[in-house]
Amino acid sequence: MSAANRRSLWRGAGRLIVKRVGLALVTLLLVSAVIFTISGLLPGDAAQEVLGRGATPEQIAALRHEMGLDRPAPVRYAEWLADIVRGDPGQSLVANKPVADIISERLPNTLTLAALATLVSVPFAFLIGIASAVSRGRKLDRALNIATLSMVALPEFLVATIAVLVFAVELLWLPSITIVPKNPTFAEYVRAYAMPVMVLAVGVVAQLSRMIRAAIITELDRPYVEMALLKGVRPLRLIFRHVLPNAVGPIVNAMALSLSYLFGGAIIVETIFNYPGLASLMVNAVTSRDMPLLQACAMIFCAAYLLLVLIADTIAILANPRLRQA
Amino acid sequence: MKRGNLARAIRAFPWSGKLGLALVLFWITIALVGRLIAPYPSGAFVSYEVFAGASGKFWFGSDFLGRDVLSRLLVGAQFTVGLSAVAVTIAVALGTGFALTAAVGPRWLDELLSRAMDTLISIPSKIFALVLVAAFGSSILLLTLIVSITYVPGNFRIARSLAVGLARLDYVEVARARGEGRPYIALVEILPNMIRPLFADIGLRFVFIVLLLSGLSFLGLGLQPPDADLGSLVRENVNGLGEGALAILVPALAIASLTVGVNLLIDAATQGKVQ
Amino acid sequence: MVDLISTHVSRRTLLGGLAAGLVVNGVGIGTALGQPRVGGRIRVASTSASMADTLDPAKGGTATDYIRHYMLYSGLTQFDGRLRGRPGLAERIETQDNIVWNIRLRRGVHFHNGKPLTVDDVIFSLMRHRDPAAGSMVKAVADQFASAKRTGPLDLQLRLNGPNPDLPAILAVSHFLIVENGRRDFGRANGTGPYSCSEFSPGIRTIVRRNPNYWKPGRPYLEEIELIAIPDEISRVNALLSGDVQMVNAVGPSSVKRVRATSTHSIMEIPSGLFTDLIMRRDNPVTANPDFVLAMKYLQDRELIKRALFRGFATIANDHPISPVDPNFNPDIPQRPFDPDRAKFLLKRSGLLGVRLPVYAAPAANASIDMGSVLQEHAARIGLKLAVNRMPSDGYWATHWMKHPMTFGNNNQRPTTDMMFSLFFQSKALSNESGWNNPRFDRLLLEARNTTDAVLRKQIYGEMQWIVHQYGGLAIPAFISLLDGYDRRLKGLFPIPLGGFMGYNFAEYAWWDA
Repeated sequence: MSAANRRSLWRGAGRLIVKRVGLALVTLLLVSAVIFTISGLLPGDAAQEVLGRGATPEQIAALRHEMGLDRPAPVRYAEWLADIVRGDPGQSLVANKPVADIISERLPNTLTLAALATLVSVPFAFLIGIASAVSRGRKLDRALNIATLSMVALPEFLVATIAVLVFAVELLWLPSITIVPKNPTFAEYVRAYAMPVMVLAVGVVAQLSRMIRAAIITELDRPYVEMALLKGVRPLRLIFRHVLPNAVGPIVNAMALSLSYLFGGAIIVETIFNYPGLASLMVNAVTSRDMPLLQACAMIFCAAYLLLVLIADTIAILANPRLRQA
Repeated sequence: MKRGNLARAIRAFPWSGKLGLALVLFWITIALVGRLIAPYPSGAFVSYEVFAGASGKFWFGSDFLGRDVLSRLLVGAQFTVGLSAVAVTIAVALGTGFALTAAVGPRWLDELLSRAMDTLISIPSKIFALVLVAAFGSSILLLTLIVSITYVPGNFRIARSLAVGLARLDYVEVARARGEGRPYIALVEILPNMIRPLFADIGLRFVFIVLLLSGLSFLGLGLQPPDADLGSLVRENVNGLGEGALAILVPALAIASLTVGVNLLIDAATQGKVQ
Repeated sequence: MVDLISTHVSRRTLLGGLAAGLVVNGVGIGTALGQPRVGGRIRVASTSASMADTLDPAKGGTATDYIRHYMLYSGLTQFDGRLRGRPGLAERIETQDNIVWNIRLRRGVHFHNGKPLTVDDVIFSLMRHRDPAAGSMVKAVADQFASAKRTGPLDLQLRLNGPNPDLPAILAVSHFLIVENGRRDFGRANGTGPYSCSEFSPGIRTIVRRNPNYWKPGRPYLEEIELIAIPDEISRVNALLSGDVQMVNAVGPSSVKRVRATSTHSIMEIPSGLFTDLIMRRDNPVTANPDFVLAMKYLQDRELIKRALFRGFATIANDHPISPVDPNFNPDIPQRPFDPDRAKFLLKRSGLLGVRLPVYAAPAANASIDMGSVLQEHAARIGLKLAVNRMPSDGYWATHWMKHPMTFGNNNQRPTTDMMFSLFFQSKALSNESGWNNPRFDRLLLEARNTTDAVLRKQIYGEMQWIVHQYGGLAIPAFISLLDGYDRRLKGLFPIPLGGFMGYNFAEYAWWDA
């Protein structure tokens, strides 16, 4: 690849990034509007949820006023928007503290869980995906195929429940709920995270490896592969030097989706292992009608997703020059 | 002629493909006639004992309320298969449709669709469902809509990525130079070449829908009682897991055999095309 | 010293030996089962935690809140095993007319920060509930506090708006726990309770440490307690069995077998007055029809509900809210049977057999979805079509409960008979669930409050139960037992029927035997 070529490649990626950041802001705005609109349709409000069912109408009215819920919705949205632009996600309606404080308690938990699950699942997914693609149609491929299918075949909550029954209740090897001690040793850390990470990884490995296999096989059917094989290129070299770079578009895309799932979709794992992550915080915000907190969670999930997709697209472009104009 | 092709294709399936086909046909049959052959009404309390084992009266035992597991399974399969099939069809039709439009259409349309999809996909699906169910109340229609909408963007991203890649290929450029219209390019030049990876995606997406439905039942957002899809059956009887009750094992196996079957079939079908 | 609480209580009928002799003036049973020892760290899991978790007793809304508050604060009185108000921070509570109450405080009690407890702290703690801005959950109850004034260095006088002989029990409720005078910001807790707060993260955990200066010498026993919440029942029981927590509440009836099968853990069954009720509103022509209401009551398959839904951990109820746990329970009302034929006859007579009605249920109302399914199935057999609408728990109380012709409600054990009747059955009550209006019932309620003779009061309450049973708009099929699961090494526990975790009070009594 010539220097000029490489330069234009990077320039393409740079342009894409700048453009995408702009578009990301538009998407965030859209998400916040959507969240605000549908949450406005929810029955009840934060004042009613906080006071419970014994509250008098006067008490509810007083609390509503204190929370600012008695002002029209568009006004509240505009104010929230003005604050968030200045970087202030506001005050939680029910927790009596700033949303930023609450998020900063929970975000590291979610990041840790997602990072660990990624670390475990991506290598496995590549290994399985590549192995079954190159042995397409043969015994290994079929075996791996059945294995990955069985891995996604059962509902996550059932897998998690069975894992807890076996490893925590019967064998007493692992804790049934994820409580990380203050200054954990490595062993404590591994013990605490083993089960939630395993349960999350099962689904991600299965999904990702199947996408990787499909993407590689698509490439393997192209004429250049046959040419290269005829010329005597070794199969492994072929896979890593030629096939993977060309298949990278769909692969990184699938990865972005899987990883964003680890971020926001961990709600069942968080529920079963009682893990204080962002997904359960967001559910909590929905059920308590805590709008600023709900919006903040939605913004984080959306930003994380957009970031992952941006990274995926950048990699795809850098790896596949044909996409540069895209 | 066409039937001969099909039969030959099926004969050429590996054993796993034949198994998949058998499982899928089995579940389609159950979905169609299950309600008719159920020995008891699915909501009836027929057994005095809860979580009873298999017996001549109750082939798969009784559930946590003493209802007949077999009857509930037969009816539940109808909801799971039907709802998932409809939802996956809607999701893939919309997702791939949008993707093709984006690939061959003007840039602004591509941008617009991509932003809309990003907006949708970045809201975690189960929380999205939670909000909608809380706002509108749970119903079969709403569940179908939630589940299909949830999987449109995922399909869109993968389909768009494939379509955009194909749209830049030489033969598509040639077709464009020939002066073919956009719909022709999308449907005739691009779509057939993305079928195989797309089919793999459809298979997985069907599985995801079945699993999302059961995840929603876990969160208490599933069908209205006494109706229950297979996932709800697993969820409502999960307390029987410790004692190995059939009431949970049977629906869990049902889900597994359904999802594995669909994927084996699709694998075989997409591979068959190459040979 | 004989105070008015015990004379008042001794006139009540004792509940058949359940907790008899277990509690003597607040001293637990630990001594009977081995010597309690100081030390041990445990973790306990309750059912719910959210960002709304609070350190303010007035705002407590969940079991987790109540437990936390009882660990950190003390009340003027404390519940015993029969829900009587025993002396706590108040050494004496005396009255002549059930209106003016003289309260003498215990000497030498200190807050966690070292400040001594004063009369002003108590007056503030009681009267703040009347301020709407305080957001108190018991404002309706506190509105009967007309005034409170200091009458000595350790004495105060509380005047009520009308007579209420149950005041000692009312003051034992967690919302009326004593906080510092003037305290409005509850970011930190400062109480006189058995434990002091060392960490509080709403929605995640509370960690408390033994208060060495607690006003009951030698107590409490545990060095540290971590309170978390595991909302999912299966996960909660699993956490108990795997040793990650040492005590849980709200064990599902179907998990009991699993816990009891171990040699390390056990279940405490606490019969209580908790019930889930089918509410039929009087403001709808169908559900106001007496024949329809009676038909729904006859359609309750109480045996099935008790057996299948609660696996026997329930007591069959008779369509009124007073359970056999309550000393004022009336055992002479004949039990209403499950009688679909009679229900069908009544529906035919009212001409309502063909109506289609939705029934609203939610997980928030304990077992209501399954109760709805049972009712739906039996109704279908006699030709009545009911559609069970399962709603999400959040927003259920605000938007569905009592807002449709048929909804499910759910009521906890209340400390007194009067509270149950006045909060949910008086015609003017905010939570008059069925919206009924029975003048005789309302009159009897006031009469009972004006009656100092306990036997007479029991008679009045007995008639009121019959009125609700006969004419009320609620079908109450069963009283649900509370089920706590605990590690057998945890000692000193006994049931207080107010709620799980010994009526949320376990922290003061429990000790670790290891």
